[in-house]
This record gives sequence, C-alpha cells and structure tokens, in this order.
Amino acid sequence: MLFVVGNLSVQAQEVPSQKQSELIRPLNKKLQSTDLFAQTDEIGASRVAEKPGLVSTAMQWLRSTDLPGDLQIHGFVSQAYITTSDNNVFGNSDNGGSFGLTEAGLNASVRPLPRLQLSAQVLSRRAGKGNSGIPRLDYAILDYQLYSHEANQFGIRVGRLKNPFGFYNETRDVAFTRPSILLPQSIYFDRTRNLGLSSDSVQLYGDVAVFDRGTFSTQFGVTLPVVDNRDTESSLLGLVRDGSLNREVSYIGRGIFETNDKRLRLGISGIWLNTSYDPKNPISSLNPLELGPGGLEFTPVFFSAQYNAERWTLTSEYAIRPFQYNHNFQNPNLNGLHVVGESYYFQGEYRFTPKWEGILRYDALFTDRSDRNGSDWVAENPARRHGLEHSRFAKDITVGLRWNVTPAFMLRAEYHYVNGTAWLSGLDNPIDLRTGRPFDTDQHWHLFAIQASYRF
Amino acid sequence: MNLFHFSIQVRILRYCLSRARSYFGFALFICFLGVKADVRANDHYEIVTNLNVSETALTVNSLRSIFSMSLKTWSDGTKIRVFVLSDDDKLHKAFSKEKLNVFPYQLRSTWDRLVFSGTGQAPVRVNSIEEMRDKVINTPGAIGYLWRANIDENVKVLQIK
Repeated sequence: MLFVVGNLSVQAQEVPSQKQSELIRPLNKKLQSTDLFAQTDEIGASRVAEKPGLVSTAMQWLRSTDLPGDLQIHGFVSQAYITTSDNNVFGNSDNGGSFGLTEAGLNASVRPLPRLQLSAQVLSRRAGKGNSGIPRLDYAILDYQLYSHEANQFGIRVGRLKNPFGFYNETRDVAFTRPSILLPQSIYFDRTRNLGLSSDSVQLYGDVAVFDRGTFSTQFGVTLPVVDNRDTESSLLGLVRDGSLNREVSYIGRGIFETNDKRLRLGISGIWLNTSYDPKNPISSLNPLELGPGGLEFTPVFFSAQYNAERWTLTSEYAIRPFQYNHNFQNPNLNGLHVVGESYYFQGEYRFTPKWEGILRYDALFTDRSDRNGSDWVAENPARRHGLEHSRFAKDITVGLRWNVTPAFMLRAEYHYVNGTAWLSGLDNPIDLRTGRPFDTDQHWHLFAIQASYRF
Repeated sequence: MNLFHFSIQVRILRYCLSRARSYFGFALFICFLGVKADVRANDHYEIVTNLNVSETALTVNSLRSIFSMSLKTWSDGTKIRVFVLSDDDKLHKAFSKEKLNVFPYQLRSTWDRLVFSGTGQAPVRVNSIEEMRDKVINTPGAIGYLWRANIDENVKVLQIK
C-alpha cells in the first residue's frame, strides 16, 4: 500500500506541472489575440510614463541612498475629467465636461529618535470654485510614542492633524486610497471638506490588543477647526457673507476595532464642532444679507463597518448629523434652527485580478431626517422654495472600474446616477440673490468621470 | 436466506470494504500531500533581523504590529526598520498570508493610511532578495524575510511563537 501511495505521490507531483502548462497554453493564445490591443496600450502607457520616469528614478535614488533619520518622501498627482448631464460638479461640468479636479500632494517624514516622528504634507487641490489649487499645509505633526509593548501603543500628536472620522477622511485626497473618484458625498462632503479635513489640535492615541482577537485603536483630539474658507461659509450660513467664522475649541474622537487578520473593521467616530459668526458690519438696511453674531454647533456621529476577503470588500457607513444654531443670528431662517441630517452608503468592491477592480455603491443623504423628501421644508416658504424639494436629499448609485496599470499608476472610470441635489456645492451652482433660488439645478442627473493617478 | 444470497452479500460487503479502503487511502494521501505542502511553504523562508537586534523570538502579535508599522522600537528601545518586497512578490505573498494571516492588499492600505495621514511611515521596499539580504545585514534594527537558501551567519533568524 505504501508503495502504491509513494508511486501515486510521484505521479501527483508531476500532474500539477502538466496542468500548469495546459493552463498556460490557452492563456498564450489569448495573449496573441489581444496583442493588437496591448500594443496600442503600450503606446499610451509609454507616453504617460515619460514624466513619471524622471520622478521614479529620483525616488529610486532617494530610496537607495541611506537618508539620515529615516527620511521618507511620498507624493501623488491625480487628474480627473468629469462630465454631468445637469448641475455643476468641480467646475462647469454640465457644459461639455471639465478637467476641474486636480489633486497633488507631497509629504516628508523623519524619525530623529526611535519614538519621535515628524511629518508634514503640502496639498494642492483644484476643484471648482471652492478650491483654487493654491498649495496649503495639509498636516504638520509631531508624534511621540509614550508607551509601547507588543501590540499595545500609546502616544501623543501635536500640530495640524487630519481629522480622524470614518474610514476615508484622513486620506480622502489620495486617489489610491479612495474606493472611487468621488467619495460617498453623503458622508465625505466635498463642499465642506476644508472644515472636515484637518485642524490644529492635540491628540492622544492608543492601540490595545483585545484578547488575541484584534486591536482596538482610539484617537481623541481637542481641535481648532479650519473654518476660514468660502465653501464652508456658504454651506453653514447659506451664502458667502461679509463677516467670517470664528474658530472655537472643538472635539473629535474615533475608535476602530480591527481583527488580527484585518478582515473585519468596525468603527465609531464623533465630532463636536463649535463655530460662531463674526459680522463685519452691523445689520442695516444697506446690507440686508448680513447676520448677527450667532453661534452654531455641529455634532455628527459616524458608524463604520468593513469586511475584507481575498477578492471582495464590503463597506458601509452611517452618519447622523445634528446642527444647532443659536438665537443670535438675527435672521428668521437661521435663528434657533435645529436640523438633524442622516447619511449612509453600502459599497461592494471586487478584485477580478490584482490589476482590475470593480465597485458598486448606493449612497443616500437627507438634509433633514424628519423631512426626507423636502416637502415640509418647501411648505415653510412655498413662494420661494416651490419645486426645490430635491435640494434636501440626494441618492446616488455608482458603478466604477479601476485598472492598476502598475503599483504606482492607476486609471479608473465611474458612472453616477443621482436623484437629488443636496450635496452640490453652492459655489459651483450659485443662488440668485434676489429670489434665493439656485439658477439652474435638476433633480435627476448623471455624472461620468475618469481619472489618472500617479504616486511614489 | 440461501447460500446464493449469502455469497452475494459477502461479495457486496467485500466490494464495499475495498472501496472504503481505497477512499481511506486516497484521503490519507491527500492529507499527506497537504501536510507536505504546508511544511514546504513554511519551511523555505524565515523572518530575519540584523545581528545587533537583541530579540531571539517574537510573538505573532508583535510581528503583526511591526509589519503594521505601529510597534516602532525593539525591547531595548532601538528603532525597528522594516523591509519588504513588492506586493506581488511570491515570498511577500507567502509571508503575508502564512505568518501575518493577511492579504498583501490589506497591508498596502494600512501603510497608505499611515503615510498619507502623517501618522506613520511605510516599510522600505526592496527590489530583490539580494537587496533584502544586504539591507538586513547592513541596517541596525532591520527586520525582513529571506528564503532559506539566502540565509547565512550574517543575519539572525527570529523564532515566532
């Protein structure tokens, strides 16, 4: 019997190699038939690769040279082309499309001491009227690890930090780390992105091993939010006004549990944001648009869940977003306004091969969860708001395809069908000041986008 | 029950037995193959460090924290420096799946989150097994992985508990 098993095992060892060669043959045939396609691709790729070639040789040199303090330099450049059937997204996209979304970043980090890390990133983002592309300091962090033992770590971070909420916020400008060209807008608003993105803060962080099952990572920060930009003002106050928003002490926290095999990730995050309006002039008949010195509180809570398998990843996030305006705005629309918004999305990603990935997502946003179709809001002021119910919700179905041409270069395309206009930027889709209505927005619209991204 | 029936029953029984035996043999053979493949996969590479690293053994949790870039110092307080091969390298894939129990793409997204949020660094990527060996030999505090064939007395092999 042993002899038989031995014989069999010898045969069996030969079988896989035969099988492999059989498998390879049809593949070769396939390759020949797609040669033509591949050749045209090569031409395109070599054209694209010309510029990165220089960068990557420079990076190669940087990497191979031993740098003091473990200096690391990384960066990315992304360009998107967006076209919409109606409404504007990042520029005048409904009029023949636009190349209005350009993102570029460069960061450096050093470890002068084993437990000390310094890092900074400069970011340029050109996106519609909200972001001009002028480089700004995205983060600058001093990170000191106070305690470290096996999987347990505690430390402190000081500086301008990325706001830790949800799964994607901290790296939302890096195309490679996003599941799609446009992140689910219900949670990762691009119009108030500067407010949400980073803030000057002191943050405590900790990783704790949980019964050999996984790690619980927490971050808690006291912050001064970045509110001094037009898009944030327009979103929070309805218009860009003469005065400005004050920075007031706010809080942010997140906890993520991740199993040891990184398959399951569960997170909860919360923000307690305070800001107030500082009018430039007293209210008078001369400037009827001016507001009083009111304050507002924004206290969203986010729940996140993700499951990662070898081929597919399922992600879902839910947010409940209460806004509370106080009574000092001297404006009937804002005084004492209390609105609770709600957002969620379900998303599936599938890796056909390591190079090709597909994505499918349903994303929903309700500006007021007690008035999901916007009818109550219109009923408050039918003369001005009639027909604008769709500005109070947005439901977005997204389908996309991603091609990782090389580990450093990526191309992708996606299509959105959107019902509603709640997350459109007021700057790209301006409001007529006389009527208080947007000039031209449509409830049902389509968006198509392609993007190329390079990183090092 | 006559003799004819009995002999048929015996025959059927014998036949079933022989089939069962061959199934059992086949199952045993599969197990044997499985074990052999497993041994071979785990046996041909090791986690290695620079000779100045004082540790001789690590827990799986510590190893995972090191390659997730959250554990940054050895027990004597010196810097840990992590080296990896590219995501699609055969050894990197085997190491990720077998030692860390994660897929290479999951490690990549962990490292990307650290680098682009400014809260950590990525491992240094080497282009070949020879470069991996050179870096581990010449960088104080270095940790990486090597095929058995590339291991000699210039690197230290870490035991994983």
